[in-house]
Amino acid sequence: MTVWRVIPYSENDAFTNMAIDEAISGSVGSGTELPTIRFYGWKPDAVSIGYFQSLQREVDMARCAELGVDIVRRRTGGGAVYHDSLGEITYSVIGREELFPNDILASYRLICGWIVDSLALLGIRSEFKPINDIVVSAGSGGNLGQGKKISGNAQTRRGGVLLQHGTILYSVDVDRMFSILRVSDEKIKDKMIATVKERVTSITQQRLVSREETYEALFEGFTHGKDFRLGDLSNHERKRALELVETRYLSREWNEMR
Amino acid sequence: MRFEEKIPGGKLVAIEVLRRTKRTNDSAGDSESSGSGLLVKITGDFFLHPEDSLEDIERTLGKLPTDASEADVTAVLVALLSKSGATLIGVSACDLARIFKKATLKLS
Repeated sequence: MTVWRVIPYSENDAFTNMAIDEAISGSVGSGTELPTIRFYGWKPDAVSIGYFQSLQREVDMARCAELGVDIVRRRTGGGAVYHDSLGEITYSVIGREELFPNDILASYRLICGWIVDSLALLGIRSEFKPINDIVVSAGSGGNLGQGKKISGNAQTRRGGVLLQHGTILYSVDVDRMFSILRVSDEKIKDKMIATVKERVTSITQQRLVSREETYEALFEGFTHGKDFRLGDLSNHERKRALELVETRYLSREWNEMR
Repeated sequence: MRFEEKIPGGKLVAIEVLRRTKRTNDSAGDSESSGSGLLVKITGDFFLHPEDSLEDIERTLGKLPTDASEADVTAVLVALLSKSGATLIGVSACDLARIFKKATLKLS
């Protein structure tokens, strides 16, 4: 059975979070570390944009500067995400590709299934909605939130290593989120809804649970049935992450790439 | 010129095209170009594995004859993706071809 390293929840700024993911990917790829699951938060609040997105079109940069919200480009595709320090918990799953289905959607379904299991522990019925979302299911708290997105995820496969990370929305300030993110009318027009706010929900809108209880459910959902060891970053990973913050994630060249 | 589209059941894709001039070549860091063709930029919230395949797609689109049909463009992209083993998620080669042609039509 595969042994996993689980790094418990920690909080970092946006640049450090992305650098840690890349540093772990390097050590997992070289075989010096076990496949890894980690949980983290973003402090201060931040926006991460997908690898292929246009920074200026996706983010109100002036508003971010005004609010002290960091902006970072991810190595993964997908959309722009607002990371509220207290409003969400983020996970990363990092392992050699052989541990996961070769088919990309199947691998999303597998890992997102751990989130569905976690939410079930909180009494929230949810389901994986391809390509990369988790939405609240019917029967969960009546019709409140049915079909609304409660988790978004993104994956990259580089150097034989799969990295998938995603957010689980604990308590979302929708007005703040959409004052920072620019959302194209094109993106929602096929959903016949008046506003993208209708698409998103959070755990506290479904159940009265604490953020700590949410983290405990995620920890259980992600580790259930797995052989795992609690761990931390190695000295090499810490050093590598610091390098990556300076050489990549803080750089204008990276963040303004598109 | 730019054209964007939300793919039903998929992701948002935007393609921006510019005619190559000395200025666009210089700003793109492309000092070796003859100046012909288009500068193509594709953005969106789709996925592409491996991610660095996008630059190949953009370069390939930029070198196509301006009168290439949508079907021709699709065929070129399908062949490129197959040869490189790249996988698009949330958008297809057909979608890219259609959006590219719409962007180039606006250019003319």
